[in-house]
Amino acid sequence: MRKSPLRLVIDTATDYLYVGLFAESSPLEEHHRKGQNDHSVHLMKKVEDVCASGGITPTDLDDIVVGVGPGSYTGVRIGVTVAKVLAWSLDKPLYTVSSLALMASGTEGLVLSNVDARRGNAFLGLYEVSAATMKTVETDRHTAFAAFIESLTAEPRTITVGRPDIRRLEKGGFLKRVENIHTVAPNYLRKTKAERQKACSA
Amino acid sequence: MKVLAIETSCDETSASVNIDGKRILSNIVHSQIDLHRAFGGVVPEIASREHIKRITVIIEKALEEAGTAKEEIDLVTVTKGPGLIGSLLVGVNAAKAFAFARGIPVVGVHHLAGHIYANGIDHELRFPLLALVVSGGHTELVLMKDHYRFEKIGETADDAVGEAYDKVARVLSLGYPGGPIIDRLAKEGEPTYPMPRITPADDYGFSYSGLKSHVINLIHKLESRHEKIRPADMAASFQKAAVAQLIDQSRKAFRDHDAKMFVVAGGVAANSHLRERVEETFRDTPHIMPAIDYCTDNAAMVGVAGYHRYRLFGEEEGMGMNGHSRLELV
Ligand SMILES: [Zn+2]
Repeated sequence: MRKSPLRLVIDTATDYLYVGLFAESSPLEEHHRKGQNDHSVHLMKKVEDVCASGGITPTDLDDIVVGVGPGSYTGVRIGVTVAKVLAWSLDKPLYTVSSLALMASGTEGLVLSNVDARRGNAFLGLYEVSAATMKTVETDRHTAFAAFIESLTAEPRTITVGRPDIRRLEKGGFLKRVENIHTVAPNYLRKTKAERQKACSA
Repeated sequence: MKVLAIETSCDETSASVNIDGKRILSNIVHSQIDLHRAFGGVVPEIASREHIKRITVIIEKALEEAGTAKEEIDLVTVTKGPGLIGSLLVGVNAAKAFAFARGIPVVGVHHLAGHIYANGIDHELRFPLLALVVSGGHTELVLMKDHYRFEKIGETADDAVGEAYDKVARVLSLGYPGGPIIDRLAKEGEPTYPMPRITPADDYGFSYSGLKSHVINLIHKLESRHEKIRPADMAASFQKAAVAQLIDQSRKAFRDHDAKMFVVAGGVAANSHLRERVEETFRDTPHIMPAIDYCTDNAAMVGVAGYHRYRLFGEEEGMGMNGHSRLELV
């Protein structure tokens, strides 16, 4: 029997910590739970747990998928650091995916992924998700939530949490194979406050 | 045992490989100082973003320079605090991921333990050991009865000595960071300006706010009288007084505690006048000062501290380890 490819999927860009072990795009083990600014404590423990429950060691993994944001700066860095170092240490391929697309992939319809960014702003991505695949309707952005909703002609299903459907993400071309692992970094979508203020005063 | 060490507590991304916590095979330090200079200090979010961009490159360089394959590493050690939390989390999670991938233990260490253990590079530490810990954020005397038995016996009541250097450099418009600039300038001058001899309230404590205020007031007084200030002489005078206090308190503590070895730790350990005074004061007793490269933040020191921590306590937290912006030295 051919061994199915084993894939580790990680996303820490939101309040929810997601760790999944997949065989042939079907989940074997999943952990999905709301955290309290403690992804740093739990992520590697959950990676360890899902591998142990799946009866595999890290070297059995065939590739790794990580949500690169946008979302919480500190949160997303934890997942991206872990995925980057795991893939590099194991010499395994790494795929990046939008954390907003990852969140949307589990829900069918016109789906708006919404991560709160305070003061009425949000990280938003609008997707059309069907049974077999998905596509981008509006690209990921950091914007005022109310104004964005008003600009839409059709009413989307707005979600703030969701598990990934790897098959749809793959079919829709959302998984990006990383060429040079050293260059992987989160997609913050925003410059730091210090840089923005500097740009204003300059 | 081959140890991989990672340090990302502030604005240096660093990785190092050592053998048995003693022989350093590599120590790669990527400083971000140029990125932060435009902002007049370290910007935490910029530091974190830079750490994650560099982390695997720096670890790979450290392994390459050590001529060591990933598979040969037996232990990973990392600074878990104190420091900038966003920066620490990159190092801590990188260390855990590497350890998990390779099936080896991971150990977190205190940043100041790292600075103290920088003295264990190529040297055998002898106990009881007295460590003078001096940096931009710390001025304290730590007594060690044995490995990993830290007892803080004195600390500054107000400013850290490095802070006083920065402040004096600013008042003299010399730039940032103040320590190395004042040290360099002091060599061209003479300690001709009168400085107060400060007696700290605590036996083995320190105090730098009085000396700092004295220098500032003196400069303002000279300016108001339109007298020309000689910056090199001012730097030499301040430095002599600042270091004298470090030496006085260290000598007293060393004698009172029957210490067998004196060591200096932290960024200010690179100060040339302090090094001269230590050489002369502790001439007849075993003493160590780290090589200049090991005074500022680096992973080599973390590797030495982590090796001893693991030897004594085993793995401890493992995959549940977190970073801590504040952390007690224990
Ligand atoms: Zn330091």
